[in-house]
Amino acid sequence: MQLRTFLAKDMKEALASVRADMGPEAVIIASEKSKSGGIMVRAALDESDSPAEAQAPSEPALVADFDTSHRDGLLRRLRGNGSGDRKSSLSFDRGDLLAALNRHRLPEGMAHALAETAAKAQLTDMTLALASALDKKMKPWPIDMHDANALLLVGPNGAGKTAVAAKIAAHARLAGRRTTLVASDSAGAGAVARLETFAKHLDSAVTTAESAAELNSLIGECVAKKTFVIVDTAGFDPRDAKARTAFAALGQIGRVDTIGVVSALSDAEEITEIVEALAALGAKRLIVTGLDLSRRAGGLVAAATQGIPLAHVTRSPFIAGGLESPTSLSLARMLLDECRSAQ
Amino acid sequence: MTTHITAVGSGKGGTGKTLIAVSLAHSLAHLGERVLLCDADLGLSNAGVHLGLSETGDLAGLLAGTKSLKDATVRVTSGPRIHFDLLAAPSGSGALANADEAAIAKLIFILEHAGNYDRVIVDLGAGVDATVMSIAAHADDVVLVVTPDPASLTDAYAFAKLLLRRTTSRVPQLLVNMALNATEGRRIAEALMTSARAFLKATPEYLGFIPYDSRVTEAVRRQSPLLTLFPQTPASTAIESIARKLHGSTTAPVAVAGLR
Repeated sequence: MQLRTFLAKDMKEALASVRADMGPEAVIIASEKSKSGGIMVRAALDESDSPAEAQAPSEPALVADFDTSHRDGLLRRLRGNGSGDRKSSLSFDRGDLLAALNRHRLPEGMAHALAETAAKAQLTDMTLALASALDKKMKPWPIDMHDANALLLVGPNGAGKTAVAAKIAAHARLAGRRTTLVASDSAGAGAVARLETFAKHLDSAVTTAESAAELNSLIGECVAKKTFVIVDTAGFDPRDAKARTAFAALGQIGRVDTIGVVSALSDAEEITEIVEALAALGAKRLIVTGLDLSRRAGGLVAAATQGIPLAHVTRSPFIAGGLESPTSLSLARMLLDECRSAQ
Repeated sequence: MTTHITAVGSGKGGTGKTLIAVSLAHSLAHLGERVLLCDADLGLSNAGVHLGLSETGDLAGLLAGTKSLKDATVRVTSGPRIHFDLLAAPSGSGALANADEAAIAKLIFILEHAGNYDRVIVDLGAGVDATVMSIAAHADDVVLVVTPDPASLTDAYAFAKLLLRRTTSRVPQLLVNMALNATEGRRIAEALMTSARAFLKATPEYLGFIPYDSRVTEAVRRQSPLLTLFPQTPASTAIESIARKLHGSTTAPVAVAGLR
């Protein structure tokens, strides 16, 4: 086992040194505040070696053409640290690019359009070419926790709206904001109880609103007190006309930003339709959840390139897991990760 | 039924292994166990030195078949009504430095079938060579001694890794020696537990810690048992509580059976 001790100004810097010097497999085994005010971190590295590992098959391959290293790479790419061995560049090849997009289950039309734009960029580096093509289509616009007043979270059932509400409240709390979590009258089963549990830990208030009018006055009061309001709603299919009408009233409330929440687990074409419908309902931004569960990025790319700005992505069911802001470059890296290991 | 074997190892030398083995023998004898302390540091035996003994028993004779276990051991009286037996080779004799596989197998067999004892405590040599690991693999408990020295951490990890490789499932219990306080003891154990969990997919158990104590050095210099010389010093108290833990975990099932 390799054992190294790092002194750094803070945990972030220490982790960066550990990764840079020992690689991604290193494990932090101890950390403590050093006397000089910084932090001391001890990290270890060893080849994994266990009889249990040899007996138990690793994660079952669900799809024959899927490689588990692919998903790990997907997450690593999203974190956006293209350091170390990841610097190896890929040279542009339209066939390779289409194959990579196909592996991620992008709809054919979308894949060809992206490849076309990437080719026109005339860049020899395939990652940069794809990033420039994505850049024309997507617009990152993270939620500013210091400035936001009121958010209305809308989206299909099970997209993760309640957990996203809690994550936003956690971030806002860290930014020093007072927060109120609101379950609108139609919020899904158990949402109020879950919000209450989250709120207790987040030092936030929870309240319910029975109607659009009640919600309107509630938001008015909170905004006046500079409290950040996050409204959780019941899941619905935005493509369904009846459900859309029921929701339109909520979106009409002034001073509230409608945020669409969709899961990356959805099929790329389904997600395209859902995002279009959410946009028609007035959603100004998107949050894509469940990146930890999805092995193909088709859904994420489809959501990110529909013209609505992408606010955040989440890849952990835990509140502390946070909201991340992907860029066109990190998305391009993620899509081409498998090609990189092949070349 | 075979005799319960508790092996004390550390990978690195100078971690206080021998002092711990001797003190555990004393403590467990005090708790009423019939204890045999075997100094299996086959090249350089020194449990006898710690105890200030002129006679250390004749491990070489036992392995050569010229002596029975009874004749090869010496009785050590380390306090009022506290005694245990010692099986070692004379210090510095180096007689067993090159003990072969057959000799080690024989020693393990004899210890496992030492019916006159409730427990055999084996002081393993430093290092992680085949002799050390064979004996550890046959022990019922393996106490792995770690100190705050980072080199001790890597050596202890190597010990745990080899033990796991040999036995497929056996994980040692961690005893942190020379810790400043309980927090440091726990932190050092956690560091090793985290490494083992990450790379070996196994988690050693935390047995406890022994605080750094200058009385220990003094007892070693005076070649007298620590627990006899300074029964109230923090290191002695810590060793006694660890002995009670080991005693409890081996006798508990018997007590349950007795209730039926």
